[in-house]
Amino acid sequence: MATTKIAETALATEESAAAHLQLDDRVWLLRAMLLMRGLEERAMMLYRQGKVPGSFYDGYGQEAVSAGAAFAMGPEDRLCVLHRDLAAHLIRGVEPARVLAQYMGRATGVTHGRDGNVHFGDRKVGCVGMVSMLPDMMLVATGMAMAFKIRGERRCALTWFGDGSTSRGDFHEAMNWAGVQNLPVIFVLENNQYAYSTPLDKQFAVNPVERAAAYGFVGETVDGNDVEAMFEATRAARERALAGEGPTLIEAVTMRMHGHAAHDDMKYVPKEQVEEWRKRDPIDRQDARLRELGFDVDVLRAEVKATIDAATEEALASPMPDPATATDGVFCEGEAEPLDDGQAPWSGFHS
Amino acid sequence: MSSSRTEPGASTLIDVTMPQMGVSVAEGTVVAWRVDVGDPIAADETICEISTDKIDTEVPSPASGVVAEILVPIDETVSIGTVLARISTDADAELEAAADEPGTVSPDTTAPDPTKARAVQAEPAQSGEPAQSGESARSGEPARSGDSSGNGASAASASAGRRYSPVVQRIAAEHGVDLAQVAGTGRGGRVRKQDVLAFIESGDGGATEPPLHIESPYRPDLVPESPAAAAPGAAAPAAAAPGGALAAPASSGGATRDVPSTLSRMRRQIGEHMKRSLETAATCTTWIEVDMSRVEAARARLGVTGLAFVARASIEALREFPALNAWLEGENYTLHDGVNLGIAVSLGEDGLIVPVVHGAHELSEEGLAARIRDLARRARARQLAPDEVRGGTFTITNPGQYGSIMATPIINQPQVAILDFEAVIKRPVVVTDSEGNDSISIRPMTILGLSWDHRALDGAMSAQFLAAVKRRLEGA
Amino acid sequence: MSTLTYLQAISSALRDELRADERVLMMGEDIGVFGGAFKVTDGFIEEFGADRVMDTPLAESGIIGTAIGAAVVGMRPVCEMQFSDFISCGFDQLVNVAGKMHYRQGLAVPITVRLPSGGGFSGGPFHSQNPEGWFMHAPGIKVVAPSTAEDAKGLLHSAIRDPNPVCYMEHKHLYRRIKGEVPEGVFETPFTARVARPGSDLVVIAYGAMVHTALEATDDLDGASVEVLDLRSLVPLDEDAILDSVERCSKVVIIDEANVTCAAGAQVAALIAERAFESLDGPVVRVASPDVPIPFSPPLEQAVLPTVERVREACRELLAY
Repeated sequence: MATTKIAETALATEESAAAHLQLDDRVWLLRAMLLMRGLEERAMMLYRQGKVPGSFYDGYGQEAVSAGAAFAMGPEDRLCVLHRDLAAHLIRGVEPARVLAQYMGRATGVTHGRDGNVHFGDRKVGCVGMVSMLPDMMLVATGMAMAFKIRGERRCALTWFGDGSTSRGDFHEAMNWAGVQNLPVIFVLENNQYAYSTPLDKQFAVNPVERAAAYGFVGETVDGNDVEAMFEATRAARERALAGEGPTLIEAVTMRMHGHAAHDDMKYVPKEQVEEWRKRDPIDRQDARLRELGFDVDVLRAEVKATIDAATEEALASPMPDPATATDGVFCEGEAEPLDDGQAPWSGFHS
Repeated sequence: MSSSRTEPGASTLIDVTMPQMGVSVAEGTVVAWRVDVGDPIAADETICEISTDKIDTEVPSPASGVVAEILVPIDETVSIGTVLARISTDADAELEAAADEPGTVSPDTTAPDPTKARAVQAEPAQSGEPAQSGESARSGEPARSGDSSGNGASAASASAGRRYSPVVQRIAAEHGVDLAQVAGTGRGGRVRKQDVLAFIESGDGGATEPPLHIESPYRPDLVPESPAAAAPGAAAPAAAAPGGALAAPASSGGATRDVPSTLSRMRRQIGEHMKRSLETAATCTTWIEVDMSRVEAARARLGVTGLAFVARASIEALREFPALNAWLEGENYTLHDGVNLGIAVSLGEDGLIVPVVHGAHELSEEGLAARIRDLARRARARQLAPDEVRGGTFTITNPGQYGSIMATPIINQPQVAILDFEAVIKRPVVVTDSEGNDSISIRPMTILGLSWDHRALDGAMSAQFLAAVKRRLEGA
Repeated sequence: MSTLTYLQAISSALRDELRADERVLMMGEDIGVFGGAFKVTDGFIEEFGADRVMDTPLAESGIIGTAIGAAVVGMRPVCEMQFSDFISCGFDQLVNVAGKMHYRQGLAVPITVRLPSGGGFSGGPFHSQNPEGWFMHAPGIKVVAPSTAEDAKGLLHSAIRDPNPVCYMEHKHLYRRIKGEVPEGVFETPFTARVARPGSDLVVIAYGAMVHTALEATDDLDGASVEVLDLRSLVPLDEDAILDSVERCSKVVIIDEANVTCAAGAQVAALIAERAFESLDGPVVRVASPDVPIPFSPPLEQAVLPTVERVREACRELLAY
């Protein structure tokens, strides 16, 4: 059963985490998750106020999956970020005001109104914006890793994807390709129990993490709601990748605490399941961890709230895009610029 | 200019309507009637005089016949298109009238349909007689022969059930071609692009589109009155400007022989006049190029000749430069108020004569055209009154139908200037758009020449006069 | 200058690009050790190594998707679909990831997708397609289709150097049948049309293999002066060249080897109807394959693909119109 595996892994990672994380790092991790949740709650409010067009998706309850994994990525690494992974964008350096502006379709949003909600990737911080067809981005990440290997660079690529998306062909093609070519890529499978309304037992007969071996590389299950475990698993996978040991599939076990999108009330999820997972809230757990270490979390929370308030004001004041620009930018007219490096706040990159 | 209406069982009644003397003019006033009900009237003869905001002018009758009704009294102002009078015609009279006027057929009029004419004739002439079925239905169609309004060149599409492709219509419109005259070699007889292009290239090939100078007084008569005049290939004298080479006797092919000959009295008189002019005046000639596109378009619309436009433009330019509308006899220098416009008319082998349109300044283009036509006809018929060749204050000569482009006319004494209007030829020219971009366009161009007397004028004024004429022709 | 076949010209362009730019990476099935299904990359792996002349798994989505990843981190991947028909397996990556990326994220995807297309040799429904219409319809993807050896080289250089996704339609039928003078070294042909033969009575608009069909069909057509316009580039479409030819010739026949509905020629016809109406002396005529999968047996295939005779007849009829 998945729960047993998680418990074992948890023990292991708790120790190794301690070996690799300074207090500042741990605070950073909580901060990233608080910022993600706070921004998403604010955006949900704005959505209900009619200020966010289209649909709204959030990663409520699974913040650790993106925060932990992204924190382990170096400045030169590259990320394909999915729709419940906002913390990854924030860690790499995307400003909160731009995120809210993005949701509201403003000209100052990351895509300047071209795409909506979390369909964005700031190329200046090394993130590729997702498409709706899942898990297309697995192949893009595989390709990035392929380029690193061909050029002999000590870098890796990482992508997130959900349990549902593993049923599509691109999952297989990416896993197979990465395994055949032994590429420095990290596949983070966010198993949040549901793909919209489809539970796992309708999605696959064998858990994808067990299939990694069939493709020739490591698959490991991690407590997706333990941000430090997520960090540790990703850090180790990255080390392996850089050492030429190939891909890793990390199954981050978590729970989608909100509906598929703001328009989904998730009636199909048993209430007991939700309650069970509420006890394992990732933010609560990191909060407790830090308080135990004597850190003043309340100040941090206040600071995060102030940041979000300021970001909201800034985003609300920014203009909508000029309709005259609607047909611009279909083609690149100049030089093709590759992705730039992003922020990498982990102390391990600065020592 | 006019329309026609028939009632079954009656002869044709043709409307005389208030013309539009200018784009912005909306109404006109009848100031004089030249006829009464019951009077006979000939086509083109002035039927009434009108006054409008822009111009006072005469209205020529659209048909020959008898004045049947006069509908608008003197001093009454009516809108453009209002029927002023009606003329009763019958087909025979129309046909005769048409035949009597060589070269006066409006370029855009189709010939009267003889079958229709016969149908009309078959009807009893009394009005009110009940119509017979069948034939009368046919005769009920408005006869088109009296209709001199131009509608051939511009209404290119769907004539007699034919359809024309967009490019064919465009080319036809650009060149003033009546597509009904173009033979089609495409499927089902349709007119293809190459058909209309070939038509334009070959000149008329028998179409009703006349050469640009059908009204030139130098054009030989259609009805051969003298065999020599009808054969332009023969050594037509006076083919060039008055003052050009004197007619040489025809040199037949074969061995050179000296054939003693004499010049006619008229020829000698003309020669004396020309020589005297050159000896008296300090004759200079100045030329200017004119883009005749607008004139060509207006011509088609109004059914008049280019000469009429040049005449009108010259008259208006003379108002700006009255020094050119003058007599200089020795020390006596007389400026004239009005313009009596001399128009040089070729008399075939016999030479040329310059009848005068008195009071030309009061006439519109159509009025001028009508008067010129009338004078030319009577000149060739030797029916001019003495007064009609005297009193000219300015002369225009228009010999361009053979294609010559420039000449050095001799001033008609005692006038101080003469204007030469030669051929209108399509040429590539540079046109500049409103943003200053140049491109090549094909335009009908002509060169106006002004011979002027340096005793009375100077080059600057002559050039300005020409520029004023050009401005009016291009911009009006 | 040297005389090369269409195929040799393609190889030449690829070789020159691999030599000139270390970022260029070739990816496809059987292109490395085997030298390619059509031998386009014969000998390449010896010169450039297995990394840069990559034998990929049988995974079209994988080829395009990973190419996109490599491109956004600075490489210039040139993917090969073994047959253009298989692009349908990579359609999603090409249209949704590559095509839309720059518009949405300002991130350029400089990939080239080589698509050996076309029929005429009993390839059957899955080895004979001309799928360019699908990609003309997808924003963010350029589409080029050379018909001569020189253009095969020049357009491929331009495609590889273009910062956008480019579908390069290489017509299999022309590989060894077409030869031409090709300049040495790198040269970039612009994404514009080319007048293959000037004329004045009628213009035949075509691209790829159909250019040769057009030239042959109208070489000696009752003395008529027939222009042949080789589109060369479908996205961007050289509208000025098309309108210019139509204005001068007034009669148009458009050829598509692809299935008639919504083929490239449909777009050309719509453009002419809207912007060259006043130049037309006859209806805009199209000659194309009917909407059927390309059949296998020769008489059936010949009945479907536009032949020299069909084109000639269409021109003759329109000339007489």
